[in-house]
Amino acid sequence: MKIKVCGLKYSKNIKELVKLPIDYAGFIFYPKSPRYVGDEFDPAIPAIFPESTRKVGVFVNEELDALLAKGKKYKLDAMQLHGGESAEYCKKVKAAGFEVIKAFQMNDSFQFNTLNEYENACDFFLFDTKTENYGGSGRKFNWKVLENYKGTTPFFLSGGIGVQDAEQIKELQHDKLYALDLNSGFELQPARKNADQLEIFLNKLELNTMNKDKYAVNERGYYGEFGGAYIPELLRKNVDELQENYLKILASEQFKKDYARLLDNYVGRPTPLTKAGNLSKRYGTNIYLKREDLTHTGAHKINNTIGQILLAKYMGKKRIIAETGAGQHGVATATVCALFGLECVVYMGALDVERQAPNVARMKMLGAKVVPAISGNQTLKDATNEAIRDWIANPESFYLIGSVVGPHPYPDLVTRLQSIISEEIREQLEKETGNPNPNYVIACVGGGSNAAGAFYHYLNEKDVNLLAVEASGLGVDSGETAATITIGDIGFIHGSKTMLMQDDDGQITEPYSISAGLDYPGVGPLHAHLAVSGRAQFLSATDEEALNAAKVLAESEGIIPALESAHALAALEKMQFKKDDVVVLNLSGRGDKDMETYMKRFA
Amino acid sequence: MNRIDQLFQNKQKDILSIYFPAGYPKLEDTLPTLQLLQDKGVDLVEIGIPFSDPLADGPVIQTAAKQALDNGMTLQLLFDQLQDARKSITMPLILMGYWNTVYKFGIDAFLAECQKVGIDGVILPDLPLEEYKAKFEAAGVHNVLLVTPQTTDKRLGTIEKAASGFLYMVSTASTTGGALQASKEREDYFKKIAALDIPSLIGFGIHDKASFQHAASFSNGAIIGTAFIKALENGNASEFLESLQ
Ligand SMILES: Cc1ncc(COP(=O)(O)O)c(C=O)c1O
Repeated sequence: MKIKVCGLKYSKNIKELVKLPIDYAGFIFYPKSPRYVGDEFDPAIPAIFPESTRKVGVFVNEELDALLAKGKKYKLDAMQLHGGESAEYCKKVKAAGFEVIKAFQMNDSFQFNTLNEYENACDFFLFDTKTENYGGSGRKFNWKVLENYKGTTPFFLSGGIGVQDAEQIKELQHDKLYALDLNSGFELQPARKNADQLEIFLNKLELNTMNKDKYAVNERGYYGEFGGAYIPELLRKNVDELQENYLKILASEQFKKDYARLLDNYVGRPTPLTKAGNLSKRYGTNIYLKREDLTHTGAHKINNTIGQILLAKYMGKKRIIAETGAGQHGVATATVCALFGLECVVYMGALDVERQAPNVARMKMLGAKVVPAISGNQTLKDATNEAIRDWIANPESFYLIGSVVGPHPYPDLVTRLQSIISEEIREQLEKETGNPNPNYVIACVGGGSNAAGAFYHYLNEKDVNLLAVEASGLGVDSGETAATITIGDIGFIHGSKTMLMQDDDGQITEPYSISAGLDYPGVGPLHAHLAVSGRAQFLSATDEEALNAAKVLAESEGIIPALESAHALAALEKMQFKKDDVVVLNLSGRGDKDMETYMKRFA
Repeated sequence: MNRIDQLFQNKQKDILSIYFPAGYPKLEDTLPTLQLLQDKGVDLVEIGIPFSDPLADGPVIQTAAKQALDNGMTLQLLFDQLQDARKSITMPLILMGYWNTVYKFGIDAFLAECQKVGIDGVILPDLPLEEYKAKFEAAGVHNVLLVTPQTTDKRLGTIEKAASGFLYMVSTASTTGGALQASKEREDYFKKIAALDIPSLIGFGIHDKASFQHAASFSNGAIIGTAFIKALENGNASEFLESLQ
């Protein structure tokens, strides 16, 4: 659907609008209109809009010569004729090289057969509300009469459309509806448009393509300035191969079918969206938990491994390499490798092997080889280094990465595979509350995959606040922390330009968190971009805060969360929610693997 | 003239290049090691900039880099150590490291220091080849590129166009310190690269006289890293270098 914004006049106002995907910009040349551009209108003003925005002059019963002269002076692309212009007149305007939009005023008894003679004389019709004064009334007509329009000329819908009409417009099913004409419903005062309201409206209609591009990865793998593929030549062929294939395979019918089937009957999706009544009471708001803890293997990680193992299969790979922190990604990888009969090698920091023993046992039972990484702090970063070194030495293997990190295309690939989380939240929340958009989405961030999945379909929804929670370990200033965004700066880790914790000499700092899955000195490039652009707010929670939040959830809702997810829960304490707010918290995993840590603290 | 270009002009066969990390085994060892290498007739030296997360390196170089960092080695300190090196060192010098340390130092400041102390080339394996090409050229510092057995012909074309100084021919799909496996395929790869218009040196897995001579028979010479670091660690660096003659 195209968008026309009409009744423009002021250059400063237009400069606020150029960031929006406006297809038609309307300038009113009818002196009796309150939005008349004036006798001395500067031709440079319409030209502020890019080439791709068509400039429309709006006229009422203007002399043909005067109209054509204006068209030339202001470099107009289209003429909107709002008076009693004849079909003959329209044809002449068209013959002069302008697109013609002929306006008609609707009421319940409008006779659509009067349009017949205009069918070939115009490019478009515009249906406006009938008034005394050629439109601009700010009122809507009864859109039901459109059902009587059976002509072939596409039309603009006009008359009093405002933000509140987005839902009704989505339901309008008319195959000749071509564009929306927006005017008085988006004004601060006549001819001064409200850019924020327009943006919200476009977002609601999912027409805001410009905004989409803002948070989407570009073809070179960048989110804003972050991302890319900073890899040694030794990995180039593998990474190129993946870059060339991943979108094709993800878009194929076979992949979509296999992926959907496995998510449904193997992973156990959709996962529930649970209204947490007691927690809601405690924080005086409305809290919903997205239950990734209920997936097979107990964390969101399996959404990603199912997708990547299919990719590996279609690419003919036989040996799978993975890194793991908490062991959840390792277990999820070992699981899908068992399912597909592929060899599986999982690198895990030696410290994590110790603190996540139950997951090590699970991986082994699933037939995977677990290799302890003994370099550095012996945690996730070091496991990732070892996995990448294995890939260098075994280029025929498939590296199944566990988060939205690594060289392009991994961040985008994993984000897409995790986006099922927000896809489901939207549907479930709409059913539950009538609105797919909550006021807040909260998720913990290690590399950032569960957060990316929970945020994905809300990235362009300005009214949804995105809260990302990092692990601050013993405190952000303690030197024992994993709060990358909070204390880090720009650098390069594991093939990606992103935010990371490093010293003045560019040496990567060893992170610390009680939670093995968050114990990482970098963060996915998408999150670096969301942080720097201000789209998401980054908070942090200490070990102690996370432990306490886990206890609160266990006792109030009967759910033991993973220590990682407990960091997201800890954010509830830090926020001031309103009574009517809807807060969705992504419960990324269950706490079975963390029982030893919990018992040490609470037993 | 850049000393690397000069070297390849004067010598086309059996060029011996040695890699070792700065500040290893002791912080102040960088210069004495350079002097030793020159005295023993080494043609070219790659000085490693120690990095916390050397992705393309095997255990020996990882451990050495860690020790250098623990010694207090930094990139700035390396430039300080090299301040007067050109009074006695005439071999071409290359700095080899990972992009993050150079990025953090600042590419302009880095190249200015390189020019000041007389660095002829850099090897930054994880820097995409198109980035900062103009800056390296303006500074007269070769950005030496890698090729590997996996490099496709299409990619090779791109690398050849962007190449500067010589090509670093990685012998095997492996991190540093692996073993060089001889095979028909391997030899075809060596020959293909050697046939290009730019000189090339073979590295990764070259560890003694025999493997050096084998590699050098397919190219302009070869690079030894891990084996020399082991010799430094064992205190028999001189003997090791002599054994290569
Ligand atoms: C339950 C759970 N949540 C969160 C994470 C953190 O990873 P990410 O930030 O990629 O979601 C992990 C990682 O192991 C995890 O197991």
